[in-house]
Amino acid sequence: MLRTALGKALKGAQLSPKHARVMSQQPKKPEQIEVFIDDIPVKVDPGTTVLQAAAMVGVEIPRFCYHERLAVAGNCRMCLVEVEKSPKPVAACAMPVMKGWRVKTDSEMTKKAREGIMEFLLINHPLDCPICDQGGECDLQDQSMAFGSDKSRFTDIEHSGKRAVEDKDIGPLIKTIMTRCIHCTRCIRFASEVAGVDDLGTTGRGNDMQVGTYVEKMFLSEMSGNIIDLCPVGALTSKPYSFTARPWEIRKIDSIDVLDAVGSNIVVSSRTGEVMRIMPRVNEEINEEWIADKSRFSYDGLKRQRLVTPMLRDNTGELRPVDWEAALLTVAKQIKNAGANVGAIAGGLADAEVLVAVKDLLNRLGSEALCTEHTFPMDGSGTDLRSSYLLNNGIAHAEEADFVLLVGTNPRFEAPLLNSRLRKGYVHNELEVALIGPKVDLRYQYKHLGDGTDVLQQLIGGGHEVSKKLKSAKKPLIIVGSEVLERPDGAAILAVIQKLSASTKAQEGWKVLNVLHKVASQVAALDIGYNPGVDKIRENNPKVLLLLGADEGAIEKADLCDNTFVVYLGHHGDHGATIADAILPGAAYTEKQATYVNTEGRAQQTLVAVTPPGRAREDWKVIRALSEIVGAKLPYDNLNEIRDRLDEVAPHLTKYGEAENANFFKQAQDLAKNVKTQLDCTPLDVKLKDLSDYFMTDSISRASPTMAKCVQAVLKQKQSKF
Amino acid sequence: MANRIFSKITLSKNGYPTISLTLRSLSAGPPPGTPPPQTKIKFGPLADEDRIFTNLYGKHDWRLKGAIKRGDWYKTKEILLKGADWIINEVKTSGLRGRGGAGFPSGMKWSFMNKPSDGRPKYLVVNADEGEPGTCKDREIMRHDPHKLVEGCLIAGKAMGAKAAYIYIRGEFYNEASNMQVAIAEAYQAGLLGKNACNSGFDFDVFMHRGAGAYICGEETALIESIEGKQGKPRLKPPFPADVGVFGCPTTVTNVETVAVAPTILRRGGAWFASFGRTRNSGTKLFNISGHVNRPCTVEEEMSIPLKELIEIHAGGIVGGWDNLLAIIPGGSSTPLIPKKVCEDVLMDFDGLVAAQTSLGTAAVIVMNKQTDIVKAIARLLMFYKHESCGQCTPCREGVHWMNKIIYRFVDGNAKIEEIDMLWEISKQVEGHSICALADGAAWPIQGLIRHFRPELECRMRKFAEVQQRASC
Amino acid sequence: MSYFGLDRIFKLMKTIKDYGGLRASLYKLYRIDNLRPGRLVATDKFGNKYYENNAYFYGRNRWVEYAPKYGLDYDASQVPAEWYGWLHYKTDYLPSEDPGRPKYKWMAEYTENLTGTKLQYMPYTTTNPKIQAWVPPSKK
Repeated sequence: MLRTALGKALKGAQLSPKHARVMSQQPKKPEQIEVFIDDIPVKVDPGTTVLQAAAMVGVEIPRFCYHERLAVAGNCRMCLVEVEKSPKPVAACAMPVMKGWRVKTDSEMTKKAREGIMEFLLINHPLDCPICDQGGECDLQDQSMAFGSDKSRFTDIEHSGKRAVEDKDIGPLIKTIMTRCIHCTRCIRFASEVAGVDDLGTTGRGNDMQVGTYVEKMFLSEMSGNIIDLCPVGALTSKPYSFTARPWEIRKIDSIDVLDAVGSNIVVSSRTGEVMRIMPRVNEEINEEWIADKSRFSYDGLKRQRLVTPMLRDNTGELRPVDWEAALLTVAKQIKNAGANVGAIAGGLADAEVLVAVKDLLNRLGSEALCTEHTFPMDGSGTDLRSSYLLNNGIAHAEEADFVLLVGTNPRFEAPLLNSRLRKGYVHNELEVALIGPKVDLRYQYKHLGDGTDVLQQLIGGGHEVSKKLKSAKKPLIIVGSEVLERPDGAAILAVIQKLSASTKAQEGWKVLNVLHKVASQVAALDIGYNPGVDKIRENNPKVLLLLGADEGAIEKADLCDNTFVVYLGHHGDHGATIADAILPGAAYTEKQATYVNTEGRAQQTLVAVTPPGRAREDWKVIRALSEIVGAKLPYDNLNEIRDRLDEVAPHLTKYGEAENANFFKQAQDLAKNVKTQLDCTPLDVKLKDLSDYFMTDSISRASPTMAKCVQAVLKQKQSKF
Repeated sequence: MANRIFSKITLSKNGYPTISLTLRSLSAGPPPGTPPPQTKIKFGPLADEDRIFTNLYGKHDWRLKGAIKRGDWYKTKEILLKGADWIINEVKTSGLRGRGGAGFPSGMKWSFMNKPSDGRPKYLVVNADEGEPGTCKDREIMRHDPHKLVEGCLIAGKAMGAKAAYIYIRGEFYNEASNMQVAIAEAYQAGLLGKNACNSGFDFDVFMHRGAGAYICGEETALIESIEGKQGKPRLKPPFPADVGVFGCPTTVTNVETVAVAPTILRRGGAWFASFGRTRNSGTKLFNISGHVNRPCTVEEEMSIPLKELIEIHAGGIVGGWDNLLAIIPGGSSTPLIPKKVCEDVLMDFDGLVAAQTSLGTAAVIVMNKQTDIVKAIARLLMFYKHESCGQCTPCREGVHWMNKIIYRFVDGNAKIEEIDMLWEISKQVEGHSICALADGAAWPIQGLIRHFRPELECRMRKFAEVQQRASC
Repeated sequence: MSYFGLDRIFKLMKTIKDYGGLRASLYKLYRIDNLRPGRLVATDKFGNKYYENNAYFYGRNRWVEYAPKYGLDYDASQVPAEWYGWLHYKTDYLPSEDPGRPKYKWMAEYTENLTGTKLQYMPYTTTNPKIQAWVPPSKK
């Protein structure tokens, strides 16, 4: 325990590797130039824009079209500021500062320019703020209050009306009210730069200019929801959220997304105990400020198909609701009868707390049959060396790579935010991408090397056309999908890739081997010591099988003995619940404070946004209560105590926000020499090939009507000519 | 006659500049490329032998044979061999300023490009998207003297070290485009263009790109976007086209006339060209006279010719006599108008018109006599700008639309007198706040109207109010 | 006789007799805390009996005895609307004699106040449930 406390105390004193990198780059910086913002001197790098320089001294310049992560358009003209000795005001977002410039952001000319632009924008903007979903968080509202004129000069004595624009149908996620559009083109730039879907654009010119999709088409991208956040007005709003809540009446809780293995940072907005919407939260290391559509819109799945009360299967074979006492006593009786013959399977949404609680319980009962639903090769180093199963190089650094080899993965749908990083590298960094696996649409060009395992052999041999590139690259990445490692020859594939990674000449500190997982729980489960794959359960045939939200159908009723008692602990009535004999309702990720470790090995925690529905309880507390009845009482009574236990098991699990490095590539490669498995010749395949496959992948998104609509929309779009 | 002598004298000094250059640099005089000082005080009319565009009216053969007969392509190889620095220096000496409206010194503009390449090719783009209402000078060049432009492209291209020239021609100019294409083809066949153009060892290509009929594509960055196949919407500056232009390469965009006069300037010497017009406004210029004149025409004249003289000599005077003149728009529709009082003695050059609170623009003189409804005329111009606004940036998209609404009410007088001041303020709010100069071009006619015809506007409003009041009684 | 109050005793005895004997009268006293002589004016279709005795002062001279089927669960809303007027001196006409009383086919049958009974009106919720629980698939 002393070690834990000391570690925590010393943590603040440590410099993270990120800091070290910044410091090492500092001497290379070109000479800084001095400019004055409202007479405050500031030293900036050459090429800094006026707006960025002003932000450095804390002066915020209003803007509509400018966005840090998109190309500069400079068309809203809201950021005009006076520069001394310049006859015209300059657009702060686009104009690089020159030495000695004196920028006046509060002068008469600047104020007048802002008032003018505001007046122009409001001429054709409808005054429907009371029925607009953006009301209360609208840039136009805020800035017209802060920078606009106090009166309007616009008269319409001929009653010609404001500009009216037809709304566009761009799919089930985004509602358009195009009359409100102020033509900032953020959505267009996002679509073409970040999402890589060039569907949005402008048609018409002058006052008749419209933002739209040229032809009637749905804007279907796995990242489409971000244009809702980008839109400074209410032209693009969320369809599922429309007319449900106001920003001032919702509670915002910072949390983590668990629907893929990326662990995007989110804000859960709730009102009256109901999740109203999910929005992204900035985290430069992971998701920047985007999130994928599944993370954003599948929250309505949290309200459907929920397990709200414990259930037991009665004599007739029907599941009947019972109270907690009866359920726990029955389950405990079965466990006591089974003795050590108890097994557990962890599904994709299980958090680290319940994983460790179940492991402790089963170990106390004398069982080691703890499995995860998703397999990972155990030959060679297996899961003993952490670096064999992590996305070692980190998500953020993917954009710095100069060559990426994707093996059996479709990052666009398995980890959309990683794919957006790769696309960023492709667009801005001349990143070259090659892919082994089925030919999928990644929204950027890549070299398709085929889908056979023989390509891997050729790469090892050095006879392949890209071998040279891979070997000469300074920052190469090999990203392996966890799905191909689940194949019978997964160990051989991993061994080949370990060998391949070691053969590159990557620069110091750059990690070539990266495994991309598909589910949020996998890394934590492997860290805690679960066995990947359910083979152990099939062999042991346990008398009691505990399913921790295992819904992917890795194990069927037919795989088990007739008298196996299946206990399902989870939050959705899905595959696992239907085969269960007892159901213990747990909490979903918005309803518990829980730890998840993402694919790069970064521990993060969700926070409680709403209470679990009905009689559902936090998962680890259920296990804790059960343990007492079974007679193997677990020694933790509150969250802090179970977190201390997590800390004992693996200290990085409670270092929230930090990606714990692992660097055992050499050892792993040595161990990989013992791998006996041979590559077989079946082609590599991935499950998520098309956008229609993306939306429904787990028990939450399968229960979501919005996601179902998305699938429908994609299928409908496929029928369309465009 | 006096003019002729003057020009002869300057011509005979043709050998001087190279010698005086070395002297000047030693004696710390004006730097090389400075035009010789102007000694004339009276300008125009231009003598026939000083005309550059000798087939302006299409009376002769426009094809290669005719063009060579008129002196085009004469010793082009020698000019090319003298090198880029010599060409730029000569253009600087001539004092040539851009003929597209802004009047930027051409020699300086070309010299921006003449720096060591960073590996990217450089391009010359010729702006032949002549869309300004009232302007019709480039079309005459391209229809009747296309070889002047082709040769100009080659020479200007050499001066900048460009790899190729793109001529962006207005879509509506069908005949002009076909003549240009024929001329380019002839030049290629005669070995004047392409690999080893004119046997000078310089490789140069000329391509023609037809626009699709948008006024805004005459703005240089919008034109570049249009050539690249995108929507013709102006880009932000900086970066200027000289850094990042067509296909991301350094580019210079110049007007047709600027390029077309270059070969003649180089053949006859920069000092010859500088002998016309006042200092800083030198050269000859194509003037387009339209509107209420007896003989609307396009004519090549000396810069700094008095406006009245220009109209009386070449256009046969105002319909109904000089006294029937109401106002003149001196430089194409985007420049502010000037009333008769100013027209009496204003000189047609950059500085003279700026002093009169207007601008030379493209030197398209639009004459309006007293039978014109001046408010309606300006309102119609504004309608044009409203229609041609690209819609990219706010002041232009919304402001021009709004101004258009207001000015059409002014036509009937259906407005309050305070609204005149409001319109003035709006036009100031639009001017200089947008990405390109289209919004400025829309604001200036209104400012000119209010500046000079405010009583007329007020009178209409009063009349309208009276009629309204009588109707309600 | 009145001096000794015997007339009151006779009156009491007559009242008891009118009400059907001592047992019935005691039950009535138990049920409505009152036992007074009166003229039975009419019985309505629900079985409520209306009495009048003008010897009592105005305000106390008309009353209702609820039908025996109500037992002790009687309340004022069991008086139908047409008798309400007579009982509260809005009119002196009996409902059967009242010429101004409207009678249409479409007029609904009078119902007592059903609050607190199974038949009471229950407004239903118009909002969706926040959580839809999973219903296990039935084997049948």
